[in-house]
Amino acid sequence: MEELLRDAVAVMVLVVEACGAAVIITGALWAFARFLWVGVRLRDTTAFVPIRLTLGRFLALGLEFQLAGDILTTAVAPTFEEIGKLAAIATIRTALNYFLRKEIEDERRQLAEQERAGTPDPADPNRRRPR
Amino acid sequence: MTLVAGAALGITAAGLVAAAATLVATRRLVLSVQVLLDFLLAAGLLRLTGSPGWAALGAAAAVVALRRLLGLGLRAGGVPAADGS
Repeated sequence: MEELLRDAVAVMVLVVEACGAAVIITGALWAFARFLWVGVRLRDTTAFVPIRLTLGRFLALGLEFQLAGDILTTAVAPTFEEIGKLAAIATIRTALNYFLRKEIEDERRQLAEQERAGTPDPADPNRRRPR
Repeated sequence: MTLVAGAALGITAAGLVAAAATLVATRRLVLSVQVLLDFLLAAGLLRLTGSPGWAALGAAAAVVALRRLLGLGLRAGGVPAADGS
């Protein structure tokens, strides 16, 4: 029974961590394509900030999946060595998540201030083009 | 090389290209370094997938600390843009 539970948790951890990795890879590929597109077409500094914000959200989401995998692993962590390693990984991921969310908040605030100051967001497809 | 390690390497390479494109397009060093650090962070997170050893953990923690330090330093120092803005 214990072996069955251990195997089931191992499969769930694998699936959850694969989801996290897929989210991070998707976000990186999307951001790469957007950075190149904006760099070639717009050449505007403010257009890069929304892309960085979205990439940050992808990374934060991937981290959430990885943390979920860590929590699942705690269900079956038999030795102190494994528990110690798990604690170190969870600490790093939690700290990363905290700093990432803080940076996203900072960038969002800067973007809002720019919009309040009247600077149009070049990444917004609905903005009016200057004549 | 595992699939995750290959993907992390690819993301690092993509970050270098994206940072170079950002520097060429905007002529702002701070922005291009921030773009590079974003991609390096993504690669570092990928390397933590699975059961990383203590060395991989230490390397990831060092990247996070370096990224934070560089970001704070660039903001506090106010590195001027190449076009003078």
